[in-house]
Amino acid sequence: MGDFLAQYGFLIVTMVQAGLLGLSLYFPLQAGQLSLASPGFYAVGGYVAAIALTNPAFAGLRESLGNAMFPLTWLAAALVCGVLGLVVGVPALRLRGIYLALATIAFVEILRVVSLNLPVTGGAIGIFGIPQAFGFQDRWQYIWLFGPLLALTLLFARQLERSRVGRAFRAIREDELAADAMGVPPTRYKVLAFVIGAVLAGIVGAMSAPFLNTWNAKQGTFDASIAILAFVLIGGSRNIWGPVVGGALLTAVPEVLRFLADWRLVINGLVLVVASLYLPQGIVGALERLRRSRPPQRPPAAVPEVKGGTP
Amino acid sequence: MELSQLIQNLLNGLAIGSVYAIFALGYTLVFSILGIINFAHGAVFTLGAYFTYTLVVGQFENNGLLKGVNLFPDGSPLSGNPWAFALATLIGAAVAGLVAVLVERLAFRPMRSRGADPLLALVSSLGVALVIVNLIQLLVGAEIYNFPSDAYGEVRPALSFQIGERVVIIRTVQIIIFAVSLAMLAVLGYVIGRTKVGKALRAVAESPGTASLLGISVDRFILITFFLSGFLGGLAGTLVGTAFGVAGPYFGVTYGLKGLAVIVLGGLGSIPGAVVGGLVIGLAEAFVPADYSAYKDAVAFALLFVILLVRPQGLLGRTQIQKV
Repeated sequence: MGDFLAQYGFLIVTMVQAGLLGLSLYFPLQAGQLSLASPGFYAVGGYVAAIALTNPAFAGLRESLGNAMFPLTWLAAALVCGVLGLVVGVPALRLRGIYLALATIAFVEILRVVSLNLPVTGGAIGIFGIPQAFGFQDRWQYIWLFGPLLALTLLFARQLERSRVGRAFRAIREDELAADAMGVPPTRYKVLAFVIGAVLAGIVGAMSAPFLNTWNAKQGTFDASIAILAFVLIGGSRNIWGPVVGGALLTAVPEVLRFLADWRLVINGLVLVVASLYLPQGIVGALERLRRSRPPQRPPAAVPEVKGGTP
Repeated sequence: MELSQLIQNLLNGLAIGSVYAIFALGYTLVFSILGIINFAHGAVFTLGAYFTYTLVVGQFENNGLLKGVNLFPDGSPLSGNPWAFALATLIGAAVAGLVAVLVERLAFRPMRSRGADPLLALVSSLGVALVIVNLIQLLVGAEIYNFPSDAYGEVRPALSFQIGERVVIIRTVQIIIFAVSLAMLAVLGYVIGRTKVGKALRAVAESPGTASLLGISVDRFILITFFLSGFLGGLAGTLVGTAFGVAGPYFGVTYGLKGLAVIVLGGLGSIPGAVVGGLVIGLAEAFVPADYSAYKDAVAFALLFVILLVRPQGLLGRTQIQKV
């Protein structure tokens, strides 16, 4: 077990982390908003934690709080990203579809260039020597942070879907004008979905900064935006498990392909192409359809439980 | 700002802006026909520069599978004088166009025939970009290749003239870039506006269904669009490569993103929009004061963000009719 964790611990934690980032994009998507801003909030959250944990300005606070400093960084990251999400979200969510996606890409790029140039973020070098959370000795121990966060997020996502708010999200996704006409204020719910995603990405960033030990402008890039979008689309965008499965699998693919040496990134690209060709509903979507269509002899009354309240 | 500085910035901005424009035209052509953004366009841009490099130099001394290969033991026939280089540039761009056609056949057409979500086409095109960039690295290494400094032959020295106390310098490369871009725009404008092929292309862009009813082979015109798009992208790659003297596997990424900013700024799917957007962003970047030059890469995106909020359809875009 020890050997296994030593070898694959880092990968497993990264897979869970990827799933969480996928979920952060899934929330706005629930309300029909294609936002690629997750890496931006992830980067901001990480910077908040990295600065709080290394900057001399906070030395006194760290001294007196000890390990309680770590949860505080999560809270701070959540707060900062929530406010930033609100500030960006309110104007940006007037846009639709590909325009919103492009605006959020612009947001991520602006953040990247700014963080490359500010002294407090360490410029191009970034911030390094971030202390390990709670004095963890091994990287796999971060599963104790990311694991519960994933469980909580999934629980939250499921409850949300069943709630009034979740139904409002779905109504907006299916037809914004109709939802508006039915008295569901689209802007308020769209911003809410966007802020939920932002807060989640920020917390993941704050947990990742100690995990990666170093934080720089490479954390929030356009490539990351697309990678996270791929997690959700390849995993499946209509089910909370989709982003998790997609994130875990796509993170693992380059590792699994390691025996291909230099060819692995080429194959990784091909996997994206083939998956988007043959799994248009995503992996989870395809599995669900398979499960639904398998028992044809079953009477229609025994249709498996309908997920998420109203179909 | 002094007059000489103003003129210098203006000229620099026009040169780089015109490359942005022809690069972005490739994006916007595909968008106007298929309604998708082809993220592999940046990779095709990189490929254009590499193909031209191969034709002009033909040697790969860095790492990669082709290390030590020398295509032209007696020196490339396509180097040494400006016309040979121009020919190499055109061939390089044409090969990049063929790659774009291949991308369409392998990644986009199967998806179209299945009626898949356009978002998936976006992921698929990104997969293609990954494949191309990593194949380049695999074959010729991740290092940067230098274009020969005498690519344009003996016309290398820059023009310069004096305004007041300061000397304004225009590099020959800048003049060539500007002239080539203008020529490309004129040719493209003619092809799309005046010829039968252009008419058919516009019909397909307007409504593929109706176009096919009228006997236009939609698939063929999509291939033509991708060829034109790849040609423009590849040409931009070589022009930028020669302007900065270098080509590396990743240098298309920045341009790919800026190209997005350009087409949205101008208006998605609008051809004059791509030109205006390219020039606006090129000029805006040229006027960033030297003290803030580190923020130059953010200018395009800041402009993009602002324009999306003020005028989401872009400077020259049409308002889309809302589905009710």
